Amino acid sequence: MKKLFLSAFLVLFTAGLSFGQSFKTEEGKATFYSKVPLHNFEGNSESLVGLINLDEKTIDFYIDLETLDTGNGKRDKDMKLTLETKKYPFAEFFGKLVTDFDPESSSVQDVIVKGTFKIHGEEKEIEVEGTLQMKDTGLHVTAGWILSLLDYKIEPPKILFIKVDENQEIKIDALLKPVDG
Amino acid sequence: MRTFFITVLISICTVSLLQAQMERVRANPDGPVEETFLTKNIAGLGTVQLLGKGDLNSMIQHNFGDVRGGIDTFFGVDEGANVRIAFGYGLTDNLNIGIGRTSREDNIDFSIDYRILHQTKLDRVPVSVVLKGNMGIRTQKESFGLTVQERLNYLGSVMIARKFSDNFSFQVSPMVSHFNTVVQREADSELYNTVYGLGFAGRFKINERKSISFEYLPVIGDKISDTKNHAALVYELETGGHVFQMFFMSGRWFTEQHLLTRTETNFFEPNFRFGFNVNRIFGLL
Repeated sequence: MKKLFLSAFLVLFTAGLSFGQSFKTEEGKATFYSKVPLHNFEGNSESLVGLINLDEKTIDFYIDLETLDTGNGKRDKDMKLTLETKKYPFAEFFGKLVTDFDPESSSVQDVIVKGTFKIHGEEKEIEVEGTLQMKDTGLHVTAGWILSLLDYKIEPPKILFIKVDENQEIKIDALLKPVDG
Repeated sequence: MRTFFITVLISICTVSLLQAQMERVRANPDGPVEETFLTKNIAGLGTVQLLGKGDLNSMIQHNFGDVRGGIDTFFGVDEGANVRIAFGYGLTDNLNIGIGRTSREDNIDFSIDYRILHQTKLDRVPVSVVLKGNMGIRTQKESFGLTVQERLNYLGSVMIARKFSDNFSFQVSPMVSHFNTVVQREADSELYNTVYGLGFAGRFKINERKSISFEYLPVIGDKISDTKNHAALVYELETGGHVFQMFFMSGRWFTEQHLLTRTETNFFEPNFRFGFNVNRIFGLL
């Protein structure tokens, strides 16, 4: 019986520790900015999902690419075909914080994360600069980087016969809530 | 001691799991089914495929004389084309408007499509349903003796379609057409201002860019003398922003009210004509 109590305690303790510093998205938005000659457009998704574990310093984000909306049906269809979303439905990042973050401070802190970004079935190690801020409402994350379509074997789509810029600016903005232990 | 080790193992696994990546879950697994058909029309029959918000579709439709003319008429091509030029626009994802002009009778038509149901991937909604209305007016000089009211023609259609798999879609569309004026060619002709029909359409997708489609439009009930049921067999090719449709069709028109009441050749006789549509979709937003 003593062993059982000890074991139960160990499980609860371990789990509690692991959950204690984990934060999961309540709301998350990803945006990409695209340029074609004489015209710029952006695509948005409100379905960004993220999990940050401050103890382990792990960062995990993904998005269902079919939720991206550029405000134009034809463009959305072209984009999904180009990204082959039926075959590769997610864009995802998994990595680690390589700079320190003080969860006791409520100020905006610059951070750097390193990890693997995967889209279109292709993976690449990237380093992303962003900010973390511990707010009363949760952990606020912002980040941005330039995604080169060719790095992920994505052929830039032609819109009205004009090629989209190979480099796309990506931004994410998310509020993560503590995971209940 | 064994229990203890097992517990430690479970604890380690729990921690590892929490460190691992989240399970990737689709945001909207029961979202709307896309691309039931390639375009808003097959050859002449409308489909449930609507333009997205802000999309403009410019469409040129042609067909020629019937192929039984043989080499003398180059299988109908020398007999001249019936051409319809049309534009459609997506006011919203569920509401489209359009305008078209057909060279025969200089018929100008206005259309509206409204989607009331959209099939979903997990079949919460098993079919897509689109209501279609079209009103045309003859504008050629020869019709100027008639009042505007007398020159009008109408179509009402309920298009019900299901994408059964990635490669096969099928549509049924009961419809009614009405012409304010019908012309009696022979003394014993049976004429009806209002004619009902039941359209059938299907699409077999060969790959992302190509498909074979068909349409069949039998008249239900009263039928105007000497008219036949329209049918068409279509090869569709999508190339970037264009959709090309090459077909054999029995009807001479591209508006359903005319296909129901003016088709004079029987596809299965066989007697049909060659035709092709060119669709180009532009994103305006």
